[in-house]
Formats: sequence, C-alpha cells, structure tokens
Amino acid sequence: MGEIRTEEMLMNIGPQHPSTHGVLRVVVKVDGEIITEADPVVGYLHRGTEKLAEDLQYTQIIPYTDRMDYLSSMVNNHAIVNAVEKAMDLEIPERAEYMRIIVVELNRLVSHLVFLGTYLLDLGAMTPFLYAFADREQVVDFFNRLCGARLTYNYMRVGGVKWDAPEGWLDDVRKFVPYMRSQMDMFHELVTGNEIFLQRVKGIGKFDADTALNYAMSGINLRATGFNWDLRKNKPYSIYDRFDFNVIVGENGDCFDRYMCHMNEILESLKIVEQALEQIPEGPVMGKVPKILRVPAGEYYSAVEGTRGELGVYIVSEGKDKPYRLKFRRPSFVNLQLLPEMLKGQSMANLIAILGAVDIVLGEVDA
Amino acid sequence: MSEETKAPETKAPEAEAAPEPVDPRVEKATEKLEFLRGKLLGKFGEDVLEAAELKQFQPTFTIKNANWVEVVEHFKTDSTLAFVYPQLMAGTDYKDYIEVYILLHSFTLDTDISLKTRTPRDNASVPSITHLFAGFNWEEREIYDLLGVDFPGHPDMRRIMLEDDWIGHPLRKDYVVEN
Repeated sequence: MGEIRTEEMLMNIGPQHPSTHGVLRVVVKVDGEIITEADPVVGYLHRGTEKLAEDLQYTQIIPYTDRMDYLSSMVNNHAIVNAVEKAMDLEIPERAEYMRIIVVELNRLVSHLVFLGTYLLDLGAMTPFLYAFADREQVVDFFNRLCGARLTYNYMRVGGVKWDAPEGWLDDVRKFVPYMRSQMDMFHELVTGNEIFLQRVKGIGKFDADTALNYAMSGINLRATGFNWDLRKNKPYSIYDRFDFNVIVGENGDCFDRYMCHMNEILESLKIVEQALEQIPEGPVMGKVPKILRVPAGEYYSAVEGTRGELGVYIVSEGKDKPYRLKFRRPSFVNLQLLPEMLKGQSMANLIAILGAVDIVLGEVDA
Repeated sequence: MSEETKAPETKAPEAEAAPEPVDPRVEKATEKLEFLRGKLLGKFGEDVLEAAELKQFQPTFTIKNANWVEVVEHFKTDSTLAFVYPQLMAGTDYKDYIEVYILLHSFTLDTDISLKTRTPRDNASVPSITHLFAGFNWEEREIYDLLGVDFPGHPDMRRIMLEDDWIGHPLRKDYVVEN
C-alpha cells in the first residue's frame, strides 16, 4: 500500500466566530482532524480597565467592573465593593447584605443558564438555548426593575446598595424560585440523558485536581475534578456563613462534570435565594460612609466566589481617593491557560466542546 | 457619624467585652507572620529577606530578587508548608522600582502567604516561576506586557494583551497616554 502523504495545517479559529463566545482566536495546528498544537490569542477586547482605574475614584470604578464579566455584573460589583469595604473596615446594613446576596445568587444562576444555552448551542442543539434564555429573561427583568439595567447593573455601592427592592419585587422573586426548580427538572429531561449529548461530553477535556491547582484554576473548573474549594465556604465573606447550601463537586473533571456542576449550582443558588428572602430584615440599604472614599495606605487583597471562579481585587493604596494600583484576578483569564494542554490530541469537533465547557467570558479574559 | 446608622448588633458584644485594645485579627496575623518568618529564616537565614511585615492581616515577605525562585520553590515543595495553590500574581510600578507580588495558599496550613520581590525599573527582570506554578504563565506574560518586566526562564515570553509592535508598557506610571 502506498504511503499517504499528510501535511500539517495551521488554522485560525475566530476571533469572530460564535463558538468562541466573543473575540477569542485559537491558532491550531491540525494533522488531518487531530489537533497537535493550540495557541489561544487573547487581548482583542482589552480596554485597560486596570490603567483606567488608577484615574478613578472607587465608586467610579464600579461601572467598569460591570463590563468585565458582563454575564454576571452583580458578582463583579460585589467583588470591588467588598474589597474596598474590607480595606476600609466598613460595616454595611443588614438589609443591604441580604439584597446583595439575593442579586448575586440570581446573577450566578442566570449566568449558568447562559452557559447551559450556549454550550448546547455549541454542540448543535438549538432548543435548550431558547428555553434557557426565556427563563433568564425573567431574572433580567427583575434586575431591570431593581436598577434600570439589563446587563450592566452598577447596583452596588461601597457601604450598601443603591436602591432598595421596589414594591412587590421580593414577592416576585419568591414566586420565581419554585418555578425555576421545576424548570431545572425540565432541562434535565431535555438534555442530561440525551445519548448524543453524553457521547460528546463524557470523558472529553479531562484533567485532574493537581493539574487544576497548579494551573491556578478555581470555580467550577476546579470543583469538577472533585476538589472541594468554594470561597463562600472556605474563606467566608459577606454573610454566606448564615446559609445552608452545598458545594457542588464533580468526579472526573471532564466536560460532562462541568456541565453537571453548572446545573446543580443553579439549585444551590436557588436555595440561598430562598433562605435570604426568608431572613431579610427591614432597614436602610445604605450605610453612612464618607462622601469621598479614602482607602488607608497599604495593600489589600480580597476575593469573592465569582460565577467562573475566584474573582479577586488587589488594591495598592497611598491613602488617596484613587487606587495607586488595582489588579483584578480574573478567573476566566486564569482558567483559559490550560486550553492548549486540553486540546492536544483532540479532534477539531471536540475543540468547541472543550472550549465551551471552560465557560469563559472574553470581557473578563481581556479586561 | 451617628450611632443609628451602624448595622444592628448581631455579633458585636464579645468584641466589646474584651478590654485589650489590640485587634484580635492583628494578633492572630502576627502569630502567623512569626511562624512563617521562622520557617523562612530556618531554611535560608537572614540574607534572602528584605522585609517581613503585615499588610492589613496578611503576612508579607519581600525576598531578594536573586533568591526568588529558591524561596518560592521551598514554600511550595516543603511538605510542612505546601503552598501549592497559586492565587494571584500582580506587578506594581513604585516609581523607584517595580514589585512583583504573588499570593499562595496552603491547604495543609489553611493559610495564605504573600511573597514579593523587587527589580529596578531599567532592564526590569525577575526570574520566572512558571516551572513551579503553571498558572503564573499568562500572569507573567501580562506583567511583561503591561509593566515591562522580563521573566528569564519563561517558556513563551511575548506580549499577551497588546499588539506585538506596541511601544511602551501602559501600567508604568510614566507612560504617556496619547489621545
């Protein structure tokens, strides 16, 4: 039999391609269908948030964080205000803490819904996307009623939140919780047992806990390997120690486990929202804080459990009203580093399945 | 500054009962700092250490540039310390020097440690620790890109955010933003 001559081919995936979830370019070398080398190229959405922040007062930075991980702006808001409050040793009103927890967990939930919808879309299933977005719309409406924006909320302030819940808002959220629970059963019926779906995701894009730790991964990407690490439990911040919820961990660290972690975390978020709605007290939503916020000179780091992992804020202050240096520890950016390793030896079709399951948001990767 | 604006007291009473003025958080952090400093000096002696201090409640050690890799490696590989989880890497331009900062977590000790090293602004360079923590690969590239610190030993040292032909490093304090 004569030898078949093969040639390595260099190919660009993206930057403008729907399955890259924004503007990510992956330069892949393929040998036939098999990827031999992959190099993610990022930076297409780099706006220099950290540089801009050096010229802004702390309150003015909040809207910039909205635009990092734009699928979970509430969580980003929480990261920055929490960091400044910790640095200044401020206490905030109880009601504000509860409002924060409610919106953060709702936001985590809808971000996971977007993951669910777009991931299935990546894999070729159109319908779940439409269902997921229909449900997401309800929560986006809640946020719209609360702060007048559908994506970039700018809702939190250092010292509390900007607006209290409008009339009937809390009741509507209360009604939404059982509805969303029943919807999750529907999603499981629709997707989870599907043979084609399972073939695409089981055993694909696998890595173990040691690799994940060495690559500084956090969030679902770390937990899917079976490693129990959630900042809400391990380094409690805000009032998370008052709620009863489980940390969802996987077993194998493959795409299927990451999918399941997303699905189950939605239920845990609903649990937290439900408890927060029960416990929320009356009272002010904004504490008395100085008009001009001056963080005492020094260095501070604090992090929250973002939708995609550890979302940290490192502040270097000279005691002025603007940070001397502000660094965001962005989970999407960090989690993406393992991609070349995961893609090696995989087929081209799996590229989309693996990239999708890492669940990145390019606004956060590039900041 | 009235009292009524303070959050309702849920867990304050114990703190008030204790008469000592020292914040218990500072006490605990100081204990941690002394413990970690002991570990560091026991292995390397005074020579490698430039400063050991608390930054808020976080024990922070400034290491000499030349000893950077061996100290980080020791904190990672020593089984009683086992700072195996890299959490954060950041660079800051302090006008006289540039500082590279890392934050590591140990699951064994259940604590964080901050390590720093300094480099002059001209020909800024800090030995790479990517071989110890793969998670710092892109972080080092980002610091190279935005602050102009070279990391000798890095497998893939090139810009990550900006274009390859970009001139200057934006996060430096003397960088002029053109309109």
